[in-house]
Amino acid sequence: MDEGEEDFVFYGTPIEREEETSRRKRKAVADAGQMRSLPVWKQEVTDEEGRRRFHGAFTGGFSAGYYNTVGSKEGWTPQTFTSSRKNRAEVKKQSIYSFLDDDEKAELGGHGLETSLQFDTFGFTAAEVARKQAEKEQQMRPSAIPGPAPDEIVLPATNSIGVKLLLKMGWRHGHSIKSSHTGKLYDARREARKAFLALSGNDDSSEIAELEPSKVDSQNLLERHNDSAQGFGSTPVFVLEPKKDLHGLGFDPFKNAPEFRERKALHTSGSKDPGTRNASRKGGLFVTNCKFLSGKLAPGFGIGALEEADIEDEDIYASNFEFEEPYVEEAEQPLRIEQDSKLRLTQKEHNVIRGFKAASNADYNTERFRPPVIPPDFQPHHKFLVPLQVLSKLGNLPPPPEAPAPEEKDLKLLIDGFATLVARCGKLYEDLSRDKNKANPLFSFLSGGKGHDYYARKLWEEQQKRPDHREPQVDGHQRASSVRKMTAESRGRILGEKPLKRSDDSSAPSPPTSKQAIQLQYNLSDSFTTPESLAGLPESVKPFRDDPMKQARFEQFLKDKYQGGLRSTYAAGNSTMTEADRARERLDFEAAAEALSQGKPQRTPQAQPLPLVAMQFVSGGAEKTYSTQHEAAAVAAVAAAAEKNSYPKREEFQWRPSPVLCKRFDLVDPFMGKPPPLPRARSKVETLIIMPEVFKSKFEEAADSGRDTPASSRSEMPDQIAIPEADSQPEVAITERPVDLYKAIFSEDDEDGDDEEEDDNPADNPAAGGGMKAEGGNTTLNRLIAGDFLQSLGQELGLEVPELPPLSSSRKPAPAAISGEPVLLPPPGRGRGKTEVNLPGPSEGSSPAAGAGDFSEQKKQRRTHSGHRRSASDGSDSESSQSDGGGGGGSRSDSDSRRKKRSSHRSRKRSSKHRERSKSRGSPSRRSSHGGGGREERRSRGDHGSRSGNHRRHH
Amino acid sequence: MGSSSGLPTKEANVLKGHEGAVLAVRFNGDGNYCLSCGKDRTLRLWNPHRGIHIKTYTSHGREVRDVHVTSDNAKLCSCGGDRQIFYWDVSTGRVIRKFRGHDSEVNSVKFNEYGSVVVSAGYDRSVRAWDCRSQSTEPIQIVDTFLDSVMSIWLTKTEIIAGSVDGTVRTFDIRIGRELVDDLGQPVNCISLSNDGNCVLAGCLDSTLRLLDRTTGELLQEYKGHTCKSYKMDCCLTNTDAHVAGGSEDGYIFFWDLVEASVVSKFRAHGSVVTSVAYHPKDSCMLTSSVDGTVKVWKS
Repeated sequence: MDEGEEDFVFYGTPIEREEETSRRKRKAVADAGQMRSLPVWKQEVTDEEGRRRFHGAFTGGFSAGYYNTVGSKEGWTPQTFTSSRKNRAEVKKQSIYSFLDDDEKAELGGHGLETSLQFDTFGFTAAEVARKQAEKEQQMRPSAIPGPAPDEIVLPATNSIGVKLLLKMGWRHGHSIKSSHTGKLYDARREARKAFLALSGNDDSSEIAELEPSKVDSQNLLERHNDSAQGFGSTPVFVLEPKKDLHGLGFDPFKNAPEFRERKALHTSGSKDPGTRNASRKGGLFVTNCKFLSGKLAPGFGIGALEEADIEDEDIYASNFEFEEPYVEEAEQPLRIEQDSKLRLTQKEHNVIRGFKAASNADYNTERFRPPVIPPDFQPHHKFLVPLQVLSKLGNLPPPPEAPAPEEKDLKLLIDGFATLVARCGKLYEDLSRDKNKANPLFSFLSGGKGHDYYARKLWEEQQKRPDHREPQVDGHQRASSVRKMTAESRGRILGEKPLKRSDDSSAPSPPTSKQAIQLQYNLSDSFTTPESLAGLPESVKPFRDDPMKQARFEQFLKDKYQGGLRSTYAAGNSTMTEADRARERLDFEAAAEALSQGKPQRTPQAQPLPLVAMQFVSGGAEKTYSTQHEAAAVAAVAAAAEKNSYPKREEFQWRPSPVLCKRFDLVDPFMGKPPPLPRARSKVETLIIMPEVFKSKFEEAADSGRDTPASSRSEMPDQIAIPEADSQPEVAITERPVDLYKAIFSEDDEDGDDEEEDDNPADNPAAGGGMKAEGGNTTLNRLIAGDFLQSLGQELGLEVPELPPLSSSRKPAPAAISGEPVLLPPPGRGRGKTEVNLPGPSEGSSPAAGAGDFSEQKKQRRTHSGHRRSASDGSDSESSQSDGGGGGGSRSDSDSRRKKRSSHRSRKRSSKHRERSKSRGSPSRRSSHGGGGREERRSRGDHGSRSGNHRRHH
Repeated sequence: MGSSSGLPTKEANVLKGHEGAVLAVRFNGDGNYCLSCGKDRTLRLWNPHRGIHIKTYTSHGREVRDVHVTSDNAKLCSCGGDRQIFYWDVSTGRVIRKFRGHDSEVNSVKFNEYGSVVVSAGYDRSVRAWDCRSQSTEPIQIVDTFLDSVMSIWLTKTEIIAGSVDGTVRTFDIRIGRELVDDLGQPVNCISLSNDGNCVLAGCLDSTLRLLDRTTGELLQEYKGHTCKSYKMDCCLTNTDAHVAGGSEDGYIFFWDLVEASVVSKFRAHGSVVTSVAYHPKDSCMLTSSVDGTVKVWKS
């Protein structure tokens, strides 16, 4: 505890403090620390000594006393009024002295030492003497003003003795004190100064004078005078200007238009100039001056100086000349002005505001660059890049040497795919992607890095393959295509635009799948068809051949995956699927995609030529689609590899810093304190009441956009959207609602409990829809089924193993449940929470427990594992790791492996999910499917967040 | 540059005093002092140039993971296993306030420029900003968009930058009200800003340091060679931004050339994991801390 006393002093002896004071001080500081946590009204204000200060009125407000600055023991205590018969209270007469402090009194009454009159060289008291004299005189003779005139008003003019002496020696007011005038120049100088003040009164004139070295002699004179005058620092006499206009006091009519002031000055001072200088020059000067002013000076600053000069010259040195002159002269003026401005750039130091000095070395110089020299052989014509096929006749180039494939499988894959692409799309694509991926080390083979040789070879091979099947199609369709000029499509292609989907049935071989065509961007570089028919993947690549719907979804998935962007959700078809199915299916898809991308390279390059040769004279369109398919697959492979390496990815979201944070960071709140948009449009009760309408209006919307509806609305009414898709009778749903409403209002359940009821009720609907009435038995049956389902769901999601046998077996027995599923299913995370907390009977026990048990198993293993590691590296960890038990390996240390390990973290998170529902969120995704999983997670989080009012991600 | 001549490779001082692992070491604003914190639940103030231990701050109940000083050297903030942020008075060594609110361990903590806000990053996937000026114990801002533990945080005048195990480096621009998410694909262990403020160095758990351009989010360079897989470790740029410095789990210190990403220098500094490296703001001087309980001062 003695840390506070520790010694900081390295040099010298520390000053001993009073023990008592320091102790009290320490107490004060300690108290201050504790005090902060108290509510405001319990906090006490103490001084640095720890004594109590600032008493409220009821707790000794008048005890302010000495301590609180009054300066008397009594403090602010009012004097009590007492008056008795014997002792009458006397009316005190207050004088000014009773209100003055001692020092003030001394000041008031005291007579200090002062200089006596005789020695008052500078006439401080001369005035007094003179006044007394005058008084005396006044006593003698009758005055014009009857009665005693106030002394203060009648002041005889006096000068100090010094001034008198100086005057006698020939000095005049307004002149500098200087040994002698430079004789013959004296008059001229006078003139010059007058002119000067008349002109502008600031240094501009001198500058201008310098700028015109080839002027008349008088100007040189002027210049010199200027210098000398400045040098001696003669003080101009300040003459008050009588007010001659009719404006209010202080009103400046030219405040915002200084140009007019000039004009005015010209006007008034116009015609009185003692005539050594030629008027024309002066006029010119004025013009430049004006321009200069109006161009450069901001109103309010700098004008002041000028203004004063104007005022002065107006009445003192009125000058004589025609102010029309400048206009006459203006014809020749511009040239000079330009010169001036040019010179001004270099001679900055002349352009200095009065009172400032030009810096000796400027911070920056304006650098001027010569225009670039155009090489003599430059031709002002731009040649457009033409696709490779056209430019280089294949075969003209010698084949690059055979090169070994790089070791990394990924790289090889990437190069293969890329070469195919480039062969198809032309050099342009290569150039584009080289540009784009400059930073990406993976693409270094484009620019001569690792694997470049291999790439060159591969590219050549691909190009060799190309013409075989390119020829016929060119023949068959558009010869012109390769030679054609740039069209809208080709331009769009180059820019990476997507062509619109053609209406589907024209080119759809497999009816259900064609709609879900993959539209890979790369395909767009194909020339003829819109490669919309991803119907696309060859049979061999269709992993879900037997289930066309699933295949369609898979293709959609691929599209989403490789096209990037936000994965919306599955668009169609999956409306009948449960979240669980969806999750599982996604895992399947991921696996399939992986397998696909791995199996691809062998297939594409080698397998391609064969069928193509056979199909040589088949119409180009069909063949095209076929090769497109191949390409799509290859591209998928490339994209898969690229995606793995496309990190870092950047996304941007809106984020609301709290106003206080902005304030503390000394920044302006970007949202200006506006509250975020309302997190939810309606309260829960309202939602329930409005339900039918919402339901109807949402119907089409939901059907169209599937689950693309913004998460906000989704989170509000997941079940509402699901209902129509579940193909139940809406009327029934509506009739069912009121019950919910009552429940929502009157039941004590928390929100989740309500949710569940909402979730449950729709489950009734299908059954009701089937029989057109909701019977109690049916309901309970459904509930049981629902519970059963939830249980299995919990099992499924709780376990990490993605390759579980399909859920269908557990679902089969109850057809009603199938139609009810989407309704039933809350987002996985919540669902799990429910199985744990709410569900009665059979559903309650086993599954979460099993899941948790499983986790604890894993945990244990991991812990022992990491424990070994740790003991190897750091022995000191053991105690803390033991101290922390429950949290899945809890808090050990930074040096602990667990914390950093992502997988273990996940497991912990998962296990903690079982404990805290508020945090629960479904992330069945593994680490590898990070993008998708994360998004999924985020989405479900979004749902969760919107409940608690945090909404922004979806806006 | 390019050569290792200017790099601090000579051991100037060893600061011994911590019992158990030292988890972080930080210079103060002008580089005259340093603070270390560790598993022995203390913070220690040192003069690294003279090798003197000045003061010990004890109040934490669990290990201390990070510490930061205000620019006026008047206040400290520290965080660690006890889920609170401690706000200290430097000279008296007393805790002025404790900010409670994180649901879990707090990994990193920083003051803003004026020392008026403490921003902390925690294992509970959140970043929280705490107001040192008001009496409120509530955080003035909670950012919970992270998907996983937030490991490291950095503040500029207008931004909060945080790196998380979910593989992202997120930049929260207070001035614009924008969140930029740079997904690196690998758990981010530590972030560090270049001295010119244009780049972020992110230490990832795949034993790679990645240098990102902050304006574009582009990956500029990757630095490999060290081991960083399971410990919270620091990385930093040298004061000239010419090299990247980082520790390794085998006790080595690595210096990479910033541009070429080649290992310029590498030497064994500690017997065990190097948990933290800190570079002097002006001179060629570096601090390293290690699980072996020492802080070492390196000069050239």
